[in-house]
Order: sequence, then structure tokens, then C-alpha cells
Amino acid sequence: MIQQILAYGTLIIAAGYLVWKFLLPKSLFSKGKSNSNSCGSDNCGCN
Amino acid sequence: MSKNINVALIGNPNTGKTSVFNQLTGLKQKVGNYPGITVEKKEGICKLPRGVKAHILDLPGTYSLNTTSLDESLVVELLLNKNDKDYPDVAVVISDVENLKRNLLLFTQIKDLKIPTILVVNMADRMDRKGISLDVGAMEKKLDTKIALVSTRKNTGIDHIKELIADYKSISSKPILDPTRISPEYFDRLKKTFPQEDLYKLWLVITQDVNFMPIEKKRIQDATDFSTKSKDELKKLQHKETVLRYQLINNILKETYKVDFMAAKGLRASLDKILTHKVFGYLIFFVILLTIFQAIFDWSGYPMDFIDEQFAMAAEWVKNTLPPGVFTDLLAEGIIAGIGGIVIFIPQIAFLFLFISLLEESGYMSRVVFLMDRLMRPFGLSGKSVVPLISGNACAIPAIMATRTIENWKERLITILVTPFTTCSARLPVYLILIALVIPEGSVLGLSYQALTLMLLYLIGFGMALLSAMVLNKILKIKSRSVFMVEMPTYRLPLVKNVVYTVIEKTKSFVLGAGKIILAISIVLWFLGSNGYSEDFQDADRIVTERIENEGLSTYSKNYIQNNVASYRESAEAEGLAPNALQDSIEVLTQELSERAVAQEIASYKLEHSYIGQAGKAFEPLVKPLGYDWKIGIAVLTSFAAREVFVGTLATIYSVGSDEEETIKNRMAAELDDDGNPLFNLASGISLMLFYAFAMQCMSTLAIVKRETNSWKWPMLQLGFMSVFAYIIALIAYQILI
Ligand SMILES: Nc1nc2c(ncn2[C@@H]2O[C@H](COP(=O)(O)OP(=O)(O)OP(=O)(O)O)[C@@H](O)[C@H]2O)c(=O)[nH]1
Ligand SMILES: [Mg+2]
Repeated sequence: MIQQILAYGTLIIAAGYLVWKFLLPKSLFSKGKSNSNSCGSDNCGCN
Repeated sequence: MSKNINVALIGNPNTGKTSVFNQLTGLKQKVGNYPGITVEKKEGICKLPRGVKAHILDLPGTYSLNTTSLDESLVVELLLNKNDKDYPDVAVVISDVENLKRNLLLFTQIKDLKIPTILVVNMADRMDRKGISLDVGAMEKKLDTKIALVSTRKNTGIDHIKELIADYKSISSKPILDPTRISPEYFDRLKKTFPQEDLYKLWLVITQDVNFMPIEKKRIQDATDFSTKSKDELKKLQHKETVLRYQLINNILKETYKVDFMAAKGLRASLDKILTHKVFGYLIFFVILLTIFQAIFDWSGYPMDFIDEQFAMAAEWVKNTLPPGVFTDLLAEGIIAGIGGIVIFIPQIAFLFLFISLLEESGYMSRVVFLMDRLMRPFGLSGKSVVPLISGNACAIPAIMATRTIENWKERLITILVTPFTTCSARLPVYLILIALVIPEGSVLGLSYQALTLMLLYLIGFGMALLSAMVLNKILKIKSRSVFMVEMPTYRLPLVKNVVYTVIEKTKSFVLGAGKIILAISIVLWFLGSNGYSEDFQDADRIVTERIENEGLSTYSKNYIQNNVASYRESAEAEGLAPNALQDSIEVLTQELSERAVAQEIASYKLEHSYIGQAGKAFEPLVKPLGYDWKIGIAVLTSFAAREVFVGTLATIYSVGSDEEETIKNRMAAELDDDGNPLFNLASGISLMLFYAFAMQCMSTLAIVKRETNSWKWPMLQLGFMSVFAYIIALIAYQILI
């Protein structure tokens, strides 16, 4: 039972992360601070 | 509580602005020994003496206020707009002691904006070696400012800057050059038309408009028409301004700045002659490249195998130790396998960044830019595209941002469009694992085939970028071509601190950035791979057991058992085991192995009928002609999020589909196609590598292209064209080689 909960919890987090990262438009989240310094380190969003 | 002092760091490219910024704020922005590293403004806070705080702004380098490109215009826009929240209370102009004359041009322009301006003379540590001497006191008087002699390398003078900033109110904001000297008649007229405006600012706004883009053009147009002069006439006046300024500067430097030329000559000049030579230059560059690729292979092999084994062991341990259940399986087969798929590449990525940052820091990269400039002209690209194309070998995203230095829009667009062809670090993992699998060991002239293949792939990527630039150039019809001036920075011994920092930082962001995605994808894949709706999946146990009872084990399993038994027999005989005992123990072993084989067959049958298996099977016809099976097909598909996902995806799929925990490499090597031959062979391996070389598999790059071009049209075009092209090339390669 605990195993089930843990496993499906992980699944939801993982799937949620992917949806957030790739499917939702970024503009929804970064409204206030647009362009210039939204990109702190040198390779913004680069893997 | 008093307001923070707004400070802007301004200066020519590559004078050390970011280095000063980092020293003042304790932040760690990227520093590199070639112009154009900083293309956006970065901010930080600095604590000054007497409890005052300063808000520091690091800006892109600019040669003068007569800007020609987007990153430079950022600086001018800020300085002309008093209402900008970042409008500086004090400007700090960073100059390089070796190029003081050129640097001072910008200084005089900024001072004429009536902003209190401090002059920082950086790289003071090089004065001795270059035979430079500077009369700071006299210069302060002549320039009517305060000067800090600084070396960020030796960490001297930084406190002096802080004191000067804290005291900024005492710094004169009187202009140096009277703008009416440029053209008395024209400026008098301007003064009459706009009595309330500052003359020099007005002049900048007017000429800005001529050169680049309208900056607050409205403000002037509302009043009246200023263009009593044509563009050409304005340009002439601008030229005159520059001449006047240089006269002024020359006069000042004559008395305060001395260079002993005997000391200044020597090494650098002769080094440059060789390194940028028409023939030797390229030869040397080629040798350096070869060495790098060879080293990446030689050095990273061992840590890679080690990491691979550790993860296989960890998965095994988790399975044996934790109570059995879904989560334990997820942990062992999904999560650990997925993380393993990324951690395994830390060594190579670190080596790659190590070499890149050594080349950048030493100043050699600028010579490469110079060499490439010559090479690229026939392809219709100017040297300004070189920096993006070269830094694309690390990652396309900063590379595309670096195109902001290109003033010509079409040329910039072309560079943005072709940059993703260059071999970014995310392709490296895919290449390395495939090369290790399908390219034979062995070497010519001390260079291994594997390293040569890797280099070839890099060259193909770069060549493809050039080629498509040429084609685009024809299609888009560029008329004007921008002039390009390479700045040749002096050679410097790379600073260990900078290099180490870059390597750690880049590797970390690669692993963390990619790691999260890979992990999430692995988890989702694991669920899709270990669940299914069809009866085949639910009844897998029964179906497979029945099949084995009727038809016996599959050829793969039989081979697996035979091979294992054979190698056991060999080692047992070598140890001198008695024939009887040998026979018995082989029987036990065979029994054990066939049980394992049955479990294995059930697992892979289940995988084939799971969600992912069915999706993969549906997708398989599309990738079959390229020599891939459905598992590779899935990995290729998930790679469209980011290339590095490839190996992690395979690792997860294989570990769901098998009963034992194994290293990724061994698993890939053990995969068979329908005829029982290794699935990863020369033909399919090369086809895969070529697919990855050309396909646009990176969501982040697409997003950046959209941002930089301001439309979805270009990124979508890129995605479509590159993917189709990759498919066709991979198809041709496989069909020829098979
Ligand atoms: N010898 C010496 N080198 C320095 C000093 N300060 C900076 N450098 C080097 O100069 C190079 C350029 O430094 P950056 O801080 O990136 O220069 P920047 O002005 O920000 O350059 P852009 O952002 O490209 O305009 C780097 O290789 C630094 O290591 C110094 O005081 N002495
Ligand atoms: Mg900088």
C-alpha cells in the first residue's frame, strides 16, 4: 500500500513537471519580470 | 535608510567589466577572453564603506555610444533615459591599460552626458611586462575625473573603486568636449529649436536613429523636423566628432602614458603570426581539435565504466534490500536507471568544458574566430557569426543569444537558424555511447578510429551549418554585409580559478538541467512500460509459459544459456574440477539459467505489450527503414524534448524489459534484431548518429529562437526542416551501409 502511494505520488510529480516544463506557455509564469534579467546564469534554460 | 547608489559598469568589450562586477558584488558571472561575452545587463549589490550600498549593473561591452548592434544599444538606451529605474547616479568606465586610447573615446562620450564618471584602468598587472607607465595624478586632472588603477587578477584597487563610488557626489560631471565644435552652425540651430534639451544627448538621439533604431524618436519628431541634414551628412559629422575626441585623447596621453616598445613587442606578435597563418593556423587548430577529441575518449572511458557499474550495482542492491513492491521496482528500474543515464556523462562533459574554457581563457579562441572568419566569407557569413557558431559547440542557447552582436538582421537570422547544427554538448553523450558500441577500436597514426569519428561528427555539424547558411543566403538575399573587426586579446595564462569554476558550473547546470527532465521522463516511461491494458499484458505469464512449453525457449535465450555454460565450463576445467562434479554443477547452472531465461522472456513479452510497447510498435514502421527497433524509436521520440534523454530512455526501457540489473553499455550491446544479429551495428549506429547530428531535438533552443525572432515561424521551420533532413540522411546512410 505504502509502495503504491509512493510510486503514484512520484508519477504525478514527474508528469506534472514535464507538463509544466514543456506544455504550458512560459509567459503564464514569468509575467512580472520579463526579458533582461529573468535569465540569471549564462545558459538560461540550457541543459 | 538611504537609497542605493545606482552604478553602471561601462566599457569596451573584453576590458574586464564582468571581472570587476564579480569582484564588487561577489557574484560569478561568466568571464572570457574574447569580446562579446556579456550580452545582457546583469545586476548585483555591493556594500560600500560607511554602510552605503550600491546597485551595480554589468553591461555589454560597447566601443562607443554610436551603436550599431542590439547589445550595444542597450547601453545607450539606458544612458539616455533618465527615467529608467537603473539610470546611473555614477558611471564607472572600465578600460584596459593596454588599449587606453581606444577605451578613452567611450569615456569622453559618457562624461559628456553629464553623468559623474569614474575611470577604472584595469589589468594593471600587465603594465610591467608591457613596459607601460601611467601618471595617474596628471591624468585625473586632464580628464577631470577620479581614476582607480585596478587589477582584478591580482585583486588590487577594488577597494579604491568602492571608495570612489561612495564619494561619487564629489566627482565632477562637467563635459569634456563642447559639442558645438563638431559643427557650430548645425548645433546652434539645434540649440535654438530645442532650448530645453541637452545638446549632446540630442545629438546622440539623432545619430542613433540614423545608425540603428529609433530611440525616443517621437520626442523629437513631436517638436519639429530635425533632419535638415541627410544621413550621409550626419555620418560625416559623427566621424568628425570621433576625430575631435581622438585629438583630445592623444594630447592627454602624450603627457601621461608611456610605452616602452622594446618590452611590448616579442612573443605575442610572433605567436599571432603562426597561429593565424593561412596554412599553419588551420593545421595547428586541427591538431588541437584532434588532441581534444582523443583526450575526451582516452580519459573519460574509465570513470564512465566505473559510474555505469556503480549504478547497476545500486539498482541490484535496492531490489534485494527493500521490501518488494511497485515503488521498489520504480526505484530500481526507473529512477536509478534514469539517473545513471545522465550521471554517466559527467566525465566527458566536464572534459569538454575544460577544453573549451582553456581555449577561451588563454585567448586562443579569438585566433580561431579570426581563422574562421576567413573560412566563412565564401559562405556569405561574416566573422560576427563565428562566435555564436563556435560557442554552439557547447550549447546552442547562449550561442543564439550571442547573435545579438550582429547588427544586420538577416545575417543574424541566418546565424540563429544554422547554429543548432553545431555539435552541442548534449549530443556528446549520444555520440560517445554509440561510437563505443559500433566503431571498432584500433588506430591510424596513433589516433583512434573512435576519436576520429567523433571529430568527423563535429566537422559534419559545423559544415552543415555553413552549407545551410550559404543556401539561406541565396534564398533570403542579403545585400549589405556587416564589417567585422576581430579584437585580438593578449594571451593570458588561464586562471585556474576561472577554468575550474566554469567547468563545475557548466557541468552542474548540464546535469541538473537535463537531469530533472531525464528523471521525470524515466519515471513516466517506467509506468508506461510496466503497465498495459491488453489481455496479452495481463496474461503474459500464462502465454509465455505455454509458448515455451510448446516451442521451447527463444533462440536468444538458448544462446544466452549456451554461452554462459560454455564460459563456466572453461573456467571450471581450468581449475581442474572433476568431470562428475563438473557435469552436476553444469546441470544446476543450466536449470538456474533457464529459469532466469523464462523470467526474462516474460518480462520482455510484458514490455512489448505494455503501453509504451504498443506505442512503440505503432511508431516502429517509421523508424524501421533507418535500422531502429521500437525501443530506439521511443528513445528518439523522447529526445525531441532534449537530446541527452536518449540514453536514459533506453536504460529505463531495457531495465523494465529485463530481469537483471546490468550496465547500460552491456545492455545495448546485447540487444538483437529480428534475425538475431546485434541491433547496434555499424549501419544502424551511423544512421543514429547522423540523425542526432542533424535533427532539431531541443525544446529549449526552440523557445529561445522564438524569443529572439519574435515569431513561431522560424523555430517551427527549423524543427520541420531539420527533422525531415535528419530522417532522410539517416535513411540513406543505413540503406547504403546495411
Ligand atoms: N591580466 C589581467 N586579466 C584580466 C584582468 N581582469 C580581467 N581579465 C581577463 O580579461 C578577460 C575579459 O574579462 P571579462 O570580465 O569577461 O571582460 P568584459 O569586459 O566583461 O567582456 P565582455 O562582456 O565580453 O564585453 C578575461 O579573460 C579575464 O580573465 C586583470 O586585471 N588582469
Ligand atoms: Mg562581460
